[in-house]
Amino acid sequence: MGFSDIIWMGLIIAGTLYLLYRSVWKKKGHCAGCDSQTCELKKSNR
Amino acid sequence: MSVEFKVQSSESVAAGFSLRSAKKTVTVAVAGNPNSGKSTLINAIAGTRLHVGNWPGVTVEKKEAVFEYEGTRIRLVDLPGVYSLSPYTQEEIITRDYLVHEMPDAIINVVDATNLERNLYLTVQLLELEIPVVMALNIYDEAEKKGYAIDAKAMEEALGVTVVPTVATRKNGLYELLKAVIKLADHPASRHPKKLNYGEDIESAARIVESLIQDGYPSLAEKYPQRWLAFKLMEKDDHVQNELTITSDALSIEEAVRHLKKAHEEDVESIMADARYAQAAGLTREVLKRPELRKMELTEKIDKIALNRFLGIPLFLAAMWFMFKLTFDVSKPLGDWMNTMTSGPFKRWAEAVVGLIHAPSWMSSLVTDGVIAGVGSVLVFVPVIFAMMFFITFLEGSGYMARAAFVMDRAMHAIGLHGKSFIPMLLGFGCNVPAIYATRTLENQRDKALTALLVPLMSCGARLPVYVIFIGAFFPAHAGTVLWSLYVMGIALAIVMGLIFKKTLFKGEAPMFIMELPPYRMPSMRSLLIHTWEKGKHFLIKAGTYILAVSILVWFLLNLPWGVENKKDSYLGQVGQVAAPVLKPLGFGNWEAASSLMAGVIAKEIVVGTMGEIYVKTTGEEKKTEQPAFTDDLKELGTSFGAALVDSAKNVFSTLKITSLSAEEDEQRAGLKSVIQSTFTPLSAYAFITFVLLYMPCVVVAIAMRQEFGTWKWFGIAFAYQMALAWLVAFVVYQGGTLLGIGG
Repeated sequence: MGFSDIIWMGLIIAGTLYLLYRSVWKKKGHCAGCDSQTCELKKSNR
Repeated sequence: MSVEFKVQSSESVAAGFSLRSAKKTVTVAVAGNPNSGKSTLINAIAGTRLHVGNWPGVTVEKKEAVFEYEGTRIRLVDLPGVYSLSPYTQEEIITRDYLVHEMPDAIINVVDATNLERNLYLTVQLLELEIPVVMALNIYDEAEKKGYAIDAKAMEEALGVTVVPTVATRKNGLYELLKAVIKLADHPASRHPKKLNYGEDIESAARIVESLIQDGYPSLAEKYPQRWLAFKLMEKDDHVQNELTITSDALSIEEAVRHLKKAHEEDVESIMADARYAQAAGLTREVLKRPELRKMELTEKIDKIALNRFLGIPLFLAAMWFMFKLTFDVSKPLGDWMNTMTSGPFKRWAEAVVGLIHAPSWMSSLVTDGVIAGVGSVLVFVPVIFAMMFFITFLEGSGYMARAAFVMDRAMHAIGLHGKSFIPMLLGFGCNVPAIYATRTLENQRDKALTALLVPLMSCGARLPVYVIFIGAFFPAHAGTVLWSLYVMGIALAIVMGLIFKKTLFKGEAPMFIMELPPYRMPSMRSLLIHTWEKGKHFLIKAGTYILAVSILVWFLLNLPWGVENKKDSYLGQVGQVAAPVLKPLGFGNWEAASSLMAGVIAKEIVVGTMGEIYVKTTGEEKKTEQPAFTDDLKELGTSFGAALVDSAKNVFSTLKITSLSAEEDEQRAGLKSVIQSTFTPLSAYAFITFVLLYMPCVVVAIAMRQEFGTWKWFGIAFAYQMALAWLVAFVVYQGGTLLGIGG
């Protein structure tokens, strides 16, 4: 395994952790409807 | 909380007109009783997809839709359904605060024409706010079917409002409604709500209070509708008194209402309620003509059986069983198709792409053994999840779910809750997260917290993939029944835990609540498909986001430290081995099961995804066979999907005869199942799925609980009791079964 492989792995793990944080914590699991409090986010993203 | 929807649907009423540049914005609040069709009306007008269900309490918060109509920008605000504007429930407070503080340009009062008197009670209170009102006399077709004749002209004259008969589900009368709203907004003086006369005693007291407000608090007289404010102060409305920081005593209101109280020998709130009911009843007598002899309606006929005190619960359980059997039978061909595709063409295409970019071998393994095996294992169950959501939506839309809550009312009272608490629990069959948020429809904090603690015991759609793979492996001949047993177990344990909580954390009796039973309706296919999609798309988004993320992380944990030969020695394997002894008495004390359960705390489907990764043959182990061409794969994809659809349709008609998830498994599907069959016994498999049903709520439910209650306390309690309960029940299942010599 070379240095570039380690860099790639680090990037993938960092991206994955960010995706996990964003989808579970920030987007509240993308759960259905406005009752999940995601509407504010939808609005601000618009 | 609000969201702005742009009108895009060509099927919406508003979109039927050419859009011109907007001149001004008219804010219109949509208010009405629960289940009077407010959300349906807004969806039909603006082409939005607000959640609609044939049961009360679907809209918890106010929501907005903005669109342009004939040069006017209209902002429709969907308020929660309420029976009155008294400040007892959160819905009533949200609705009243909005109307009083925001003072919209007009109110569309959605009135259920089949239930005029009860709906007019709210109308009478809306008129007190002195905001122009347009009444949508909704569900007018059903009223006509019942033989009702409503004199809309007489109603307009009596109330000083514009009355438009509508059928929101068919979009009838909506153009007229919008025109009336625009006209009213352009010329507010054209129709002014009438001041209904509540009788001389009340009116004279109100006049005195109004003059007291004008003299003592002129700024309030400008800010609030005077007549409404006078009534609220006479009623000693706590919410208003706190907000205004004045008390009825400070204004000498007690003096003003002394005669009123003396004459009626009741408190002013009751006197006012009687007066409003009298207005609603009198108006109904004036405008409504019912047929002389009323036949027993279909709803009543069905309810005679569905709500029977002995048959109600068995029928509910039978309906659930039938729903699960149908879910399995309908989704099986599509699930098999999905499995064939993910393990065949999709995997080959991913490998081809990875080969094309000359990715290193570890990255190729990450894609095929991590992403495809992990996410693919979950995607296979998308058809079953959508089928389940379709049938749940059908039961909601038909009005049966409200009956389910009603028949469970007695059981709920035993645990200190009322049937209304069962509605969030039923929503939990789809996903526990919206169910946690739906607890806000309940009256007090005690009910909300207790219901939220019990919601995670309701088996959500995310647990289905785990059940399906295990049931398919061990109980193919009785798939529907085994699945049904899990859901019933969830409900039964919720009742048991409710009893325990009632004796410990939540002492006290359930408050009285009268539950509305809407008429049975056949939901339209369009509405069914839209709401099935709304419910089910969440699982697709999950697969593309955090299930993908966890699959990648699990792959790394299974391959670190780098170069590890045996997955058992990987980081994930090592952690699994630490936890495995705890699960040994439950019959699945192996590191694979322990690791999968731990990964499943993010989302329960991940249990299957992780098993898929653990048990997958590492790339290179498989025999190299001749690869079909891309075009052959595409052709196969299309033809096999068509065949799967035909099989699904056939299964709908033959569902009572066919053996779902039959033993004739195709080879591709046998992969993960055959490994599971060699690792588990039928008994340990049942113990395992029982554990998955009951063990801790997923991370997103934890976040929802934290957000709804402002503390981690309730999640902490849910976590602790569910882990203990899951272990205990799985222990009893496995050890009890072993002792009895079942399924070992």
